[in-house]
This record gives sequence, structure tokens and C-alpha cells, in this order.
Amino acid sequence: MENKHQVPVTVLTGFLGAGKTTLLNRILTEQHGQKYAVIVNEFGEQGIDNDLVVDADEEVFEMNNGCICCTVRGDLIRILSGLMKRADKLDAIIVETTGLADPAPVAQTFFVDQDVANKTKLDAIVTVADAVHLSSQIEDHHEAEEQIAFGDVILLNKIDLVKDENIDVVTKRIRKINPFAKIIKTTKCGAPLKEILNLDAFSLKRILEVEPDFLESDHDHEHDDDVTSLSFVSDKPLDMEKFQNWFGKLLQTKGQDIMRTKGILDFKGENDRYVFQGVHMLMDASPMGKWPDDKERSSRLVFIGRNLETMNLKEGFEACKSE
Amino acid sequence: MTTDLNQFPQLDKTKFEQRGIQLEIGVPVTCAVSIGNYIAAGFGDGTIRIFSSGEKHKTLKAHKGVILCMAKDGDNILTGGDDGYFLKISLNGEINEVTNFGSRWVDHVAAHNGNLVCSSGKVAYYWDKNKKEPKSLNHDSTIGGLAFDAKGRRLAVSRYGGVTVWKKDYSNKWKSTKLDWKGSHNKVSFSPDGKYLVTSMQENVLRCWRLKDKLDFAMSGYGSKVKSFAFIDDSSYLATSGAIDAICWPFDGEGPMGRTPICVPYVGNNQVTFIEPFPNEKAIFAGLSDGSVFLSQIENENNTIIIRSFTGSEVSAIAMTDDKSSIFIGDMSGNTLWTSIWDQ
Repeated sequence: MENKHQVPVTVLTGFLGAGKTTLLNRILTEQHGQKYAVIVNEFGEQGIDNDLVVDADEEVFEMNNGCICCTVRGDLIRILSGLMKRADKLDAIIVETTGLADPAPVAQTFFVDQDVANKTKLDAIVTVADAVHLSSQIEDHHEAEEQIAFGDVILLNKIDLVKDENIDVVTKRIRKINPFAKIIKTTKCGAPLKEILNLDAFSLKRILEVEPDFLESDHDHEHDDDVTSLSFVSDKPLDMEKFQNWFGKLLQTKGQDIMRTKGILDFKGENDRYVFQGVHMLMDASPMGKWPDDKERSSRLVFIGRNLETMNLKEGFEACKSE
Repeated sequence: MTTDLNQFPQLDKTKFEQRGIQLEIGVPVTCAVSIGNYIAAGFGDGTIRIFSSGEKHKTLKAHKGVILCMAKDGDNILTGGDDGYFLKISLNGEINEVTNFGSRWVDHVAAHNGNLVCSSGKVAYYWDKNKKEPKSLNHDSTIGGLAFDAKGRRLAVSRYGGVTVWKKDYSNKWKSTKLDWKGSHNKVSFSPDGKYLVTSMQENVLRCWRLKDKLDFAMSGYGSKVKSFAFIDDSSYLATSGAIDAICWPFDGEGPMGRTPICVPYVGNNQVTFIEPFPNEKAIFAGLSDGSVFLSQIENENNTIIIRSFTGSEVSAIAMTDDKSSIFIGDMSGNTLWTSIWDQ
């Protein structure tokens, strides 16, 4: 699985007017000699400068796999499998979503469809946020909050139009929703492309390299339906069976509210580190080799989602510690 | 420790490979159809290659991008591409544009007795052979597959949430019936006797409707998506890909409900990715994910012969000429084999 050639797919998301098309055109003009396919929504913003632009319909459907929140983008399965039949090999594929799209079905498509997973890989979700309007957009539209929650990279754009102290306020708001995204402050989406493309953010190896800030979580917030994050650390090894029972049941029952999870786990009696990451109920997990000698063994777990405080996550996690 | 040599791919050429013509085109083979004693194959670079015995194959540049679908219309080839073109191509290489949808892909084509249909997005366009302008048949979601029944009276259109079956009434107006089942339906086909309708779904399962009473049921147990299936020997079996065996469901008598399928086994653990019937016999060609192709009798599992050995690339097209003399095989890396079936 690891050695086969998979075309990286970057998902560009962000609220209306945040600057997605600006970023897209920057990528296309600056990456000379690279062959990209761009998948856009037919109702999206116009003016994309590329040879290969495919219109998509953002058709989301539910899988019949007993998992209520497992929605995928049917149009993406069709388009990606068509693109994989092309004679010229693509260097990358960029999917631009509409401003009101939930990024979860896009990400879940890469977990669910075997052909898509064999030939392409989700590289990263890049969220473009408008520094001027993000705070009010988050208040008014749950989609804006979800786009921040799912971002691996968040371009906080248009900072030239905002006072420094307000940038700090917006940054804190983003951090509260999503502690492990990389925030890049830009004007006109002017971020170095190497910080946006080929990140491999969904690979388990990468989770080990870019460890999120496992800061003490901030439990107070204004609205019950706010997206927040919680993280937990334990220096005491976990009991594998207890953890699997707890975590499996948690995703089964609360997977709709839990948007993203990531973790590095130290199980009692196991020499390997276990790494996992998930989108709603879908999860990718694997042992990732021995613990490095220069590193203390510990388990770290991050959740992003809604109503996390009602799930007794701390108690559940504590109960997984080995006797 | 013993080594079972049968676990390894046969590296020797089969007799079919030795006497046939093998090409390395380097571009995925996306489809193939038989037209009389010719085979037309479509490729990911928009070319079509036409094979016939005793002649060198002919190459035509038809589309600007991937040939996504192909069907036979009398002596002509119909193709749809990701360049938005729906083309009608004659065996001597004359290319006619039926229509062109610009940036929208032509995902599926079908034909019956001179009447043509293609789909682009959510709309199926039907050309009556006596009319110039197509009739648009609209659907709520993107079309996953198209199929006429054997008599050409009904057109099945698969989509999200089930299948729409279109039929012309006595006043020549299109009427539709919906067969609903939640999920994404892809390839669709009527059984040749017209009694059943089958779809392959996004999940690893087939959905089947018995049309007289709309009773529907699942055919499941697959390890991967069922990308290819075909009715065998009129309607006695439905042979399917999606497992390491070719799974053949009995459709004679009272149909497959409550009956177990015959599993035609192959060496190793490769998935079957393509099924092509051997006309009028209870026999199938099965193409596997490693590029190998076998011919088997369904009811006699010991009677399997290897046609093409391992290439390392998933079989994506098999077609046999109408006189049953020769076959064409293609895979996702563009390795093709064109060979006679019978020993001289």
C-alpha cells in the first residue's frame, strides 16, 4: 500500500469570498511545469486558469454501512476514477468546494472508496478564512466553523485589513476550534506553496512529525453548539482492550458530533507506538514502529467537535489507563 | 517449509500469448466492444484501436481525452469522452459527432436498433433513429449507468437512490417507473429474458429487482466493489467480479433467492475485476487484478484454462468477436492481447 503511486489531492475550502479562487490561481500560475487537475463546483467562482478543469456537482450521499454520518461525495468518486484513466500522469488534484460545503464528506470519500484510496490520497484540507469576517461567519454559519475544524492548514487571509489586536482575537478563536491546524497569516493568500501542497497531512507518519499543541484544554465557551477541541495526555500506559472498547463505542454513538480525532498511544505490553486519526466515525490506525529512545512514552489524544463536554471524555480516557 | 509453485504467477507465456499479438500501449484500456468479427478498444488518451484477424490493427484519434464509455450501434462504434463529445465511428475510421456537451463528460452510452442514448450528468439524451433532436430524460442525481432491455422497449437508468425505468407508452410518450433502494447505483443491466434488473452499488453488493412484482433483494458477500458483471448463456447465470472467485448467481427457474452461487476459483488471492461471457455457453472469461485472464466452465471448476498470464495491472476490458474466434484483452497499464481462441 505504501509504495504505490498515489496522486495527492488537496481540498480547498473556505467561506464565500475568503479568497479560495485567489489561492487556486496562485497555485496554478506559480507551479510551472506541474500538471494539475482542478475540480470545481459549477456554481463556484469563475476565472480559473488551468487546462484541466472539471465541473462537479457536490453530490453527497450516505453509505449503507450502518454508520449514520458516513456521507461521501459521489461525484468525486466518479471524477477521480475518470481522471485516473488519463494518459498523462497528474502531479496533483485540487478540489475546490463551495463556500457552504461541509468538508467531512470529501475527506470521508478517501476512507470509503477502495479505488479512490488506491490511486489517490488526501494530502490536506486547506481552509481559507477571511480575517475581517471570520468571527461573525462562525457565529452565523455552522459551515464556517466546520471548515475551520477540518482544516490542516488555515490561511488567515486579508490581515492587511484588520488591526493587530483583532488578528489575535481571530487567531485565538481558530485555535479554540482547531488546535492542530497550521495557521498562516496572509494578504492575498500569499503563503509559500510548500506550506500548502504536498503536506501528507492525513498520513499517520505525519501525525508523529507534526505533533499538535497538547495544551490544557479550555473548557468554557459561549454556546453549546460551538465546535471546540479537547486533548488528553497520559504518562501511564493504556490498556488496549479497554481503550478499544471505549473509543469504538464513543465513535459509534457520538461520531456525528466528533469531527476529527488524532492520537499517539502507548499501550501496556506493546513495544510499538500506535497512531490513529479519524473523520467522524471513520478511522485509520496503525502501529508506527518502536518508541524512540530519546522520547518519553506517553499517550496523547485530541478531539475536535461539538458537545464534547457531554461525552465524559476525560473520565473515559482515565478509565483506560492500565492497572 | 514447502513451496507451492502455484502460488506464483506463471511467468511463461501462454499459447495464446505466443500466437497472438501483444502490445504495450502505455495508456489505460477503458472499454472494448465486438462488432461482427472486429473488436474496437478505447483508451485513456482518446484513441481507438480496431482489431481484426489477418489485418494490422487500425488506430484512430477520436477524443481529446479519456474514452469513458463505448457501445455498438449496428456496424458503428459509439463513444463518450471526458472531452464532452459523443461520437459515432465507423469501422473504416469515419468519425461523426452526435453531439458535444462542452466541459461536461459523457459518462455512459447505449444503443438499440439504431436508437441511441448517452448520459451527461443527470440527463439521459435519447435519439430516436428517425429524429434529429434528442429527447432529454431528466433525473434528480447523476446517472451511474444505462441499459436497454433485449427488445429495446425499456431503458434503465441507474442513479442515487435506485433505478428509473423508462418506457414509451402506446402514444409514444415516455413514462417512467422508479425502483428505489438507498445508495449509489452504478452499472445496470436487464437479464436477457427481461425478468430481472440488476445494479452494482458503491457498497460491495448487487441489488436485484424481479420486475413482475418489483420484489427486490441483495446479492452480497463481496470483498470489493463489483465493477463488472454479465448474464451468461441467455439468463442462466449472472457472473460477477468483486471477489477472488467469479461469483455466478443462478437466474434460471425461480431465480437466485435462497440459492447459493457457484464460485469459480482461481489460483492466488487476486480479485476478479472483469467478466465477459463466452456467448451461448455456460462459460466465462474472468480478468483479474494482476492482469491474468482465465476461461472457465461455470459448472465444472476443473475446466479452467489460462489465456493471459500476469502483467501486474488490473484487467479493464475483454471482448470476444461475434464468430467466437478471437478475443481482445486490455488492462489499466495498456497491455493488450489480441489472439485467436482455437488451435489451428
